[in-house]
Amino acid sequence: MATADVPGGSGSLLSIRTQQRVKRVAVYLTALLISVFVVVPVYIMVAIAIQSPAAVFAGGNVNLVPHSVTFRNFAVLLDTTSTVTYFANTLLVTAGSTLLSTAIAIAAGYGLTRFQFRAKSFAARAVLFSYMFSPIVLAIPLYVIYYRLGLVNSYFGLMLALTAISAPFAIWLMWQYFQTVPIALEESAWVRGAGRWRTLWDVVLPVARPGYISAAIFSFAVAWNDFTMARVVMSNDSMYTINLGASLFLDRVTIGWGATMAVSLLICIPPFIIALFLQNYLLQGFNVGGLE
Amino acid sequence: MAEPIHLEDVRKEYRTAGVTHVAVDDLTLSLPAGSFTTIVGPSGCGKTTTLRMIAGLETPTSGRISFGETDVTDLPPQRRNCAMVFQSIALYPHMTVRGNIGYGLKIRGVPKAERDAKIEAAAETLQITEQLEKMPSELSGGQQQRVALGGAFVQDPDVLLLDEPMSDLDAKLKAELRVEVQRLHQEMDATVVYVTHDQTEAMTMSDHVVLLNDGRLEQFAPPGELFDYPRSEYVARFIGTPSTNVLDCTVEETADGPAVVGDGFSMPVDSLADAVGETVRLGVRPQYLSPDAGDHRLDLTVEVVEQLGTEYVVHATLGDGTRIDVVSDAVAHLRPGDQFVAGFDREHAFVFDANGDTVLFGDAPATEHAPNSTP
Amino acid sequence: MSTSTPGLERYLPERLDGRTLLLLASFVPLLAFFLVVWLVPILYALGMSLFTDPTNDAVFVGLANYVDLLVNPAFWGFLWTSVVYAVGTTALSLVVGLGLALVVNQRIRGGSVLRTMMILPYLVPTLVVIFMWKFILDPNVGILNQVLVNAGLLEKPIAFFSTLTWAMPAVVVTSVWKFGSFAFFILLARLQAIDPDLYERARVEGASTWQAFRDITFPHIRGAVLIILLVRGIWMFNKFDIIYLSTKGGPLKATTTLPIEVYQLAFDRVDFGHATALAGIMFALLALVAVVYFAVFNPGEEVSG
Repeated sequence: MATADVPGGSGSLLSIRTQQRVKRVAVYLTALLISVFVVVPVYIMVAIAIQSPAAVFAGGNVNLVPHSVTFRNFAVLLDTTSTVTYFANTLLVTAGSTLLSTAIAIAAGYGLTRFQFRAKSFAARAVLFSYMFSPIVLAIPLYVIYYRLGLVNSYFGLMLALTAISAPFAIWLMWQYFQTVPIALEESAWVRGAGRWRTLWDVVLPVARPGYISAAIFSFAVAWNDFTMARVVMSNDSMYTINLGASLFLDRVTIGWGATMAVSLLICIPPFIIALFLQNYLLQGFNVGGLE
Repeated sequence: MAEPIHLEDVRKEYRTAGVTHVAVDDLTLSLPAGSFTTIVGPSGCGKTTTLRMIAGLETPTSGRISFGETDVTDLPPQRRNCAMVFQSIALYPHMTVRGNIGYGLKIRGVPKAERDAKIEAAAETLQITEQLEKMPSELSGGQQQRVALGGAFVQDPDVLLLDEPMSDLDAKLKAELRVEVQRLHQEMDATVVYVTHDQTEAMTMSDHVVLLNDGRLEQFAPPGELFDYPRSEYVARFIGTPSTNVLDCTVEETADGPAVVGDGFSMPVDSLADAVGETVRLGVRPQYLSPDAGDHRLDLTVEVVEQLGTEYVVHATLGDGTRIDVVSDAVAHLRPGDQFVAGFDREHAFVFDANGDTVLFGDAPATEHAPNSTP
Repeated sequence: MSTSTPGLERYLPERLDGRTLLLLASFVPLLAFFLVVWLVPILYALGMSLFTDPTNDAVFVGLANYVDLLVNPAFWGFLWTSVVYAVGTTALSLVVGLGLALVVNQRIRGGSVLRTMMILPYLVPTLVVIFMWKFILDPNVGILNQVLVNAGLLEKPIAFFSTLTWAMPAVVVTSVWKFGSFAFFILLARLQAIDPDLYERARVEGASTWQAFRDITFPHIRGAVLIILLVRGIWMFNKFDIIYLSTKGGPLKATTTLPIEVYQLAFDRVDFGHATALAGIMFALLALVAVVYFAVFNPGEEVSG
């Protein structure tokens, strides 16, 4: 190709070779900068979580390869805070809302795809509109209603609130996904004697599995990540989720960065486990809808 | 047990956005028990809709459907003893071939041992025994189609329906599967209805052919009858490749009596005495036009000559511009631009009236050979 | 094979056993869900907004709450802050996402590592992101300050989240860290779908790198960029947790966006009348944007059939 220093393209100031050099530098520089930007914070979190505060703060940070790994931070965390309770609460509420959200999404997605009705376009807009809604705006009236109904500080109340914000996109996902399941598959089963419900169980659900797993992962992420809804619904410390509980750590003088990063690491674990084992479904979710 | 299939005034209408579209227009048919009937026609003629109504996947807007004595019009597909092979093949991607074939039996509660025996018998008939434990995605198109056929076979249905099962296959596979389907028909005691747009399949495989046009029945007859005694110009043109040549003519009074007069020929027809002065059309198949032979001659100018094996198809034009095709093995010497004469005998000519209906097959008036919906 | 072909409506079955039950099972949960968790609260909130102190001693005041808000310059300040935050975060995310997408698209060594790396921010929960960045930007122990001071660029460490001029940038950077992956993945997908032969041809025809980008790359990603701007813009405008967790809207309301103000009106000042009125205004803004969005990207098309 062009190894000679020829003018590079009409109207270009630089020769082709210089252009290629500049491009190469720019590419690697960008990659480096962004990599640093993304990775360094995570590295810091891990580094601080597994070192004793003394080691970290002795005369400036020792963020490089820690000399001694300790779990002291975790011990402090578990002793001085209700982290375990918070985690239990979060797991419960997350599981509940994930199940609820996915179930609604599967049911609605199937119905919206298979049945004919005139309001389809409206339904699509309604689903997307609720997805664009600010959770905090929904949370305010929800709180008042909960207060009246005694649902404040309840697991069910929070599960419902989380489902409210995760279900719209899950429904959208399943709606899109069911459209790729040919109705001929169902018809083939009907002709062979399977009733509609039997067909759902034997044929539709197995074929839709990648779709609803993606929907479940998404719903899980929303719930696990949530702070807003928990903040509004829960005011009782024993009911706090981990995001809510831990957010108060920085205000407490007794909890230092070591313990804070330790809890951070713990909170990261479930999403990372899911990513590890279900990466295919994760990427599928990115493709469909492409909104989140 | 094979049953005859009766359709009585079956009509299917669709209403979309205020416009009513008639897919099937008062169709009445009786398919004999155990026969192999093909429904052909161009896209949108209603053949798939008709098939789906027989299956129970669609409900007729009006009319009745029965299998033998049983009226099935209101029965869901689960309760008609019908098997269907879909155009998209529709194999369950998450089940093995064995699972796919045996699914219908599983629904019926057939015990596993018996199921497996039947599945294996079907697999052997269709030569897919090696594939039994594989997943559909591992199979070729032809193999997948055999699996679909297998699923229908094990069901031992009264009625077997196939919806353009070969449209996605290449020519060689089509030829192979055609033989398979016919073999299955012989082994199964079922009435087969086969939908296709490919007339070769229709003509080679069936006992009877149903030709539909825009939801209406054009003709229902054995293949040979459609070829030699088409009930209308539409049938004459649809069946047969290349298509029947059609020329504009008039019935005139000549010295020999009434005759069908066209560009350069005059064909006496006594039976059309009442029709003098009317415009008619004459149809003759390319296969029945011979160079320098025949009672009635046409002066043609060659456009293109195609060679197909030992035969040639000459695409030519008549003096008035009408396109005429001639199929013969004696035209190798012709080149584009050549003039030549081709002729036909009266016994091979069809005469169509202004409505397109056939009034004459050669000498005989159409009523003598009136094919209708019940053979 | 997709079932969403036009005219396929005709082929859907009309009466089969168990169908009605199935219909109910599909739609009842959906409708119940939307009714209970969306429609009722929204209507209730709009109702509340017409009263003073609706939770204690309700007095009907019509649109007075709305008027109070709209005449208060503070409201417009918060609106502006929201816009700055949304636009800043989205624009910066776009730049970062596009930059890295272009890089990865070059198929350099380690490209797939970079791709996997970009899933990280998506996985790390928001609170943890806040913790990370609070630490990095901390005046006492944060490394950014340390690096800058040691390099002589700063005299004293800056408490980023608590300084008037730096609070919003700090919040924006934190948000970009968390949400930049979205732009990255979408743009990467679009870039990878561009036929490489197009670039070959451009080279043969003499185009420079910049011209190739402008004439081939950009037209292909224009749609995606628009989607990102619109969708992420709305998302960031609505965001509550990141700002609340990092600055609680301070210092001195410098980072108070509309969502923050809604929360504080409701829970700090227990003024549900104005809180719901502000929510109502946000709802109206969202509806406006939604109308535009639906006009441009008709979602009905994606699902009809």
